[in-house]
Amino acid sequence: MKRTIIYIIVLIVAVLPAYPQEEAATLRPVTSAYTAEIGDARLANTYLTPLKYTGWSAAFNYERMQAMKFNPDKWVMRLAAGLTLDGTENPAKNADMWRLVGEFSWGMTHRWRIPCNITLAAGGSTGVDLGVLYNSRNGNNPVAVEAAWTVNLTGYAAWNTRIGRLPLTLRYQPTLPVAGVFFSPDYGELFYEISLGNRSGLVHCAWWGNYFRMENLVTADLHFGATCLRLGLRSNVLSTKVNNIVTRVVTTAAVIGISGEWMSLNPSRGIDSKARIISALY
Amino acid sequence: MIRICYLMMLVLLAATTSCHKLESWSDSQHGNFEALWSIMDQHYCFFTEKGVDWDEIHSRYVAKVSDDMTDKELFYVCADMLNELRDGHTNLSSSFNVSYYRKWWSDYPENYNARLVEEHYLNFNYLSAGGMDYAILPQNVGYMRYSSFNSMVGESNLDQILLHLNVCDGLIIDVRDNGGGSMTNVETIVRRFITERTLAGYISHKTGPGHDDFSEPYAYYYDPAEAGRIMWGKPVVVLASRGTFSAANNFVSIMQYRPNTVIAGSTTGGGSGMPFNSELPNGWGIRFSACSVLDAKGNTTEQGIEPTPGCAVDLDPVQALDGHDTILDFAISYLTGTSFAYNRQ
Repeated sequence: MKRTIIYIIVLIVAVLPAYPQEEAATLRPVTSAYTAEIGDARLANTYLTPLKYTGWSAAFNYERMQAMKFNPDKWVMRLAAGLTLDGTENPAKNADMWRLVGEFSWGMTHRWRIPCNITLAAGGSTGVDLGVLYNSRNGNNPVAVEAAWTVNLTGYAAWNTRIGRLPLTLRYQPTLPVAGVFFSPDYGELFYEISLGNRSGLVHCAWWGNYFRMENLVTADLHFGATCLRLGLRSNVLSTKVNNIVTRVVTTAAVIGISGEWMSLNPSRGIDSKARIISALY
Repeated sequence: MIRICYLMMLVLLAATTSCHKLESWSDSQHGNFEALWSIMDQHYCFFTEKGVDWDEIHSRYVAKVSDDMTDKELFYVCADMLNELRDGHTNLSSSFNVSYYRKWWSDYPENYNARLVEEHYLNFNYLSAGGMDYAILPQNVGYMRYSSFNSMVGESNLDQILLHLNVCDGLIIDVRDNGGGSMTNVETIVRRFITERTLAGYISHKTGPGHDDFSEPYAYYYDPAEAGRIMWGKPVVVLASRGTFSAANNFVSIMQYRPNTVIAGSTTGGGSGMPFNSELPNGWGIRFSACSVLDAKGNTTEQGIEPTPGCAVDLDPVQALDGHDTILDFAISYLTGTSFAYNRQ
């Protein structure tokens, strides 16, 4: 009996993780960024017009990154939300097409810290895009709804370095939807018919053959104390073809904004001097 | 690292192969002509129904196009080509002109004279609400004139109008020379004249660029107006003319199957194709029929709707000189069961 109890105790001890007796607390600051973007847009949607429209693009985006609680050294979550407005004209400059789209995505990436202060990360995300394209010259077909839910591949490469004495974080982050669902009316279907109740064939499975999108984001965070100036470039390519309707959206925009790391602390307890601070990006 | 590079190469390969082709035309006279022809070829919905050989039309009209012709010359070639479709919903719009196929109504008697009705039947004394003029005729027959389905008519408007006419034995709805407008107004009005969920018709859209690529006709229904609204259950005569077009034609196509209702006057102008808009590289706009609306029996009404048998009447211009609207006279006598002899102001 005594031997059996000893075996059980040994087994329990073996199963339990080997925590140090006084493990340092882990702090996971939130990296938040608010950015404004301005650039150019090229729009085409053959439900509205066979012509390509060109003009400007403006956006406001919010990004939040944080190391995950379950394995903060290896896993990082990223939440992004944004609103984009594109204003374009046809080649003859006598008609306007507008695009207003809201986007939201959430994902997790596994990161590897490699030498030279470089971090590589890869993972997945899921996101929703919802908006409209509006062509001012059309009567019964004035809008094309842009709505999609996608599962994406994403990742980033980040390099923490310095320019002189100024800390700098460079990052490249691509996002590539690989599957999902998106909305499209039929080739010549009016929204009037949809409003009468004909909802068949409006939702389509997305794959690269009918829905290709890629977003590339390059940022440089210049660290001025606790706050960073974020400069960057964002390009977005969306190309869909379903029901013989082709949609193409290409935007390229300069990014400017602020970013920083934020922590939620209890003032009465302060920060444990032994605490480990695990940043999501910096 | 090699794996990552390999993955990125795959992504780039996908990016270059997945962008979908967009058809494009040059902004030359030939380019704009071909753009117009192609847009119509791929989207217009009545080629087969009207027996139009669009390829033959292309070969005939492309010979008239040259890159050194003026914009106006090109416009008239394009307009003539579109007129081959015999479609009042098809227009080419430029900064100097809008093409319009007029023969769908200009080759027929107008059958409506607003002054004749207002002076000799309404005595210039009528009410107006929600785009409708209405009055009680001396024969105790209600008269509603709706000149355009673009005029928004509200539920309160219809309540007031039908309440006012409630004492009448029958109702005349005059949509002669009504060129159409919003289909929403058709539903708003029809809902006052039905007592149960009613099959209004079918709608069929293009599913691809082929001339016969159509969806299965989709049945659409109208429900009666909600409880508490003023309804009309007594006999109705709808007055129609060749100028009754598009949404007004759709209104007639639904009302013709209502019990206690006849269509009087002449064959409507049709226009059952709901129009789409598009454009050419030079900025000209093009509107055309793209989506066919059928009546409740699945019949096309693009060529118009004939009056109820025995109710075909033209406006007699000789009697009009004497203050008679022979179509309106017919409707009054139909509703009152009397001959044309009645007292007018």
